[in-house]
Amino acid sequence: MTVTICIGSSCHVKGSRLIVEELQRLVAENGLSDDVELKGTFCTGNCVKGVCVSVDDRLYSLTPDDTKDFFEKEIKGRLA
Amino acid sequence: MNNLCTDIGYKSVNKYGEQLCGDHIEIVEQGENSTVIVLADGLGSGVKANILSTLTSKIISTMMANSMSVEECVKTIAATLPVCEERKIAYSTFTIIRVVDNREAEIIQYDNPHVIFLRDGKNVDYPQTTEEIEGKTIYKAKVLIKENDTFIAMSDGAIHAGIGMTLNYGWQRDSIIEFMELSYDNEFTAKALSTILLGECDRLYGGRPGDDTTICTVKIRKRQPMNLMIGPPSNPDDVDKMMSLFFSKEGKHIVCGGTTSTLAAKYLGKPLGTTLGYMDPEIPPIGVIEGVDLVTEGVITINKVLEYAKGYLADDTKTMEWAYKKDGASQISKLLFEEATDISFYIGRAINPAHQNPDLPINFSIKMRLVDELAECLKQMGKKIKVSYF
Repeated sequence: MTVTICIGSSCHVKGSRLIVEELQRLVAENGLSDDVELKGTFCTGNCVKGVCVSVDDRLYSLTPDDTKDFFEKEIKGRLA
Repeated sequence: MNNLCTDIGYKSVNKYGEQLCGDHIEIVEQGENSTVIVLADGLGSGVKANILSTLTSKIISTMMANSMSVEECVKTIAATLPVCEERKIAYSTFTIIRVVDNREAEIIQYDNPHVIFLRDGKNVDYPQTTEEIEGKTIYKAKVLIKENDTFIAMSDGAIHAGIGMTLNYGWQRDSIIEFMELSYDNEFTAKALSTILLGECDRLYGGRPGDDTTICTVKIRKRQPMNLMIGPPSNPDDVDKMMSLFFSKEGKHIVCGGTTSTLAAKYLGKPLGTTLGYMDPEIPPIGVIEGVDLVTEGVITINKVLEYAKGYLADDTKTMEWAYKKDGASQISKLLFEEATDISFYIGRAINPAHQNPDLPINFSIKMRLVDELAECLKQMGKKIKVSYF
C-alpha cells in the first residue's frame, strides 16, 4: 500500500509535516513498515480542502487532528 | 574579457566604546570588468576619523574610476580634508586595489599595513615601487591576476591587535600572513576570509578593540552562473518556451515550486521524486529531478531564503545557520550567496488557484514581492542579476 502525502506550499501551511510525522510514527508503532510505503508529492491540484493524502489511488483530505482516525480506518483497517 | 570576476567582502569592528568606525571602504565599478576598492583609515577615532576616511575613500574611488592619476587624487585630498584642531594635520591613510579588466590588479598604498597577496593560499611578495607625492611616500605595485588570487587589505587596527594585552608588540604582519595561510581554503568567499581574520583580531583584543579594525578581502574567482526558476508562466502556452530558455543556460539550475517542478520534470521527460525528510520543520522537503541541481517547494522556501539574505547582509550571526543546514532554503542560500556570481531568475506569473484561499498567509502579490526583494538583496551582495518574467 502506498500512502502519498502532499508537501506542496498550501498543504505545508495546513500542517502536512505533522501528518507525515504522525503517520510515520503510527506505521512504525504498528509494525507496518513493510506493508505501507509513505511518499511525498508536490501539489496535486486539490488544495482547496485540507492536506491531500492519497492511499493508492483514492484521494483524502486530512487535518492533523483526524490523522489517527484516518490511519485506523483507511490504512490499518484496509490491511487487516 | 575572461571568465574571472572579483568577490569583495569586508568587515569592521569599532574601537571599544565608539559608535562610529574611523575606517571606511568604498567600492566603485568601472564598467563590467574593472573595480576600484579603497580602504581609508582616518586619523583618531569616532566622528572625526569617520569623516576623514569617508571623504578620502569617496574622493579617491570616484577620481580613480574616472581615470585620474594617483597624484591628482592625493593632491585633492590634501587640499580638501579638514585640518584636525588638536593635531593641526589633515590625515587619512589609504589602500587602493584596482582590478583592471579582471586581468591585472594595481595596488596603491599609503601608510596602511601592506596588502597581503595570497596565490593559491600561499603568500607572495610582490615587487613595489615608491613615489613621493606631496611629501607622502606612496607604494605602487601591479600584479597579473589568476583565479583564486586573494588580496587582503587592512587598517592598522589589525597589526595592533592585542598590543599590551595578549601580545607585546601587537600582531605582526608576518604572523597575520601565517595565520591566513593556515586558515585559507579555496572554497572560502572574500567575506568569509575577512570574517575569519577580523574575528581573530577581535579575539586578540579580548573583545575590546583598541583601534578601529577593518579587513577587506578581494578574491579573484571564476564566474559561476546560476539559474533559478519559480512559478509557471501566466500563459500556459509559454511553458515550453520558458523551460527551453531556462535549461539552455550555462550553470546550475534551481527549480522552485510544486507545479513548476512538475512542469520541469515533464519537459525533461524525467520523473519528479520527492522526499519526506524535514531537515527544518518550517521548510517543506526538497524534490529530485534528474538534470536539475536542486528542486524545492516555492513560496515558503523562498521566504526563508529572503530572511537569510537579509541576515547575511546585516552580518547577523544568528541567521547564518544556512551555512551548515541541509533543508531546501539553506541549500538555495548556499548556492546563491556563496557559489553564484551571476544569477538569472525565471519568474512565472501564473496565479496559483490554491494560493488564493484567504486563510493562507501566502498569495500571488507576496510571491512576486519576495522574488523582487531577494533579487535586490543579491545585488547588494555584489551579484549580477537578471530577471525575466513569463
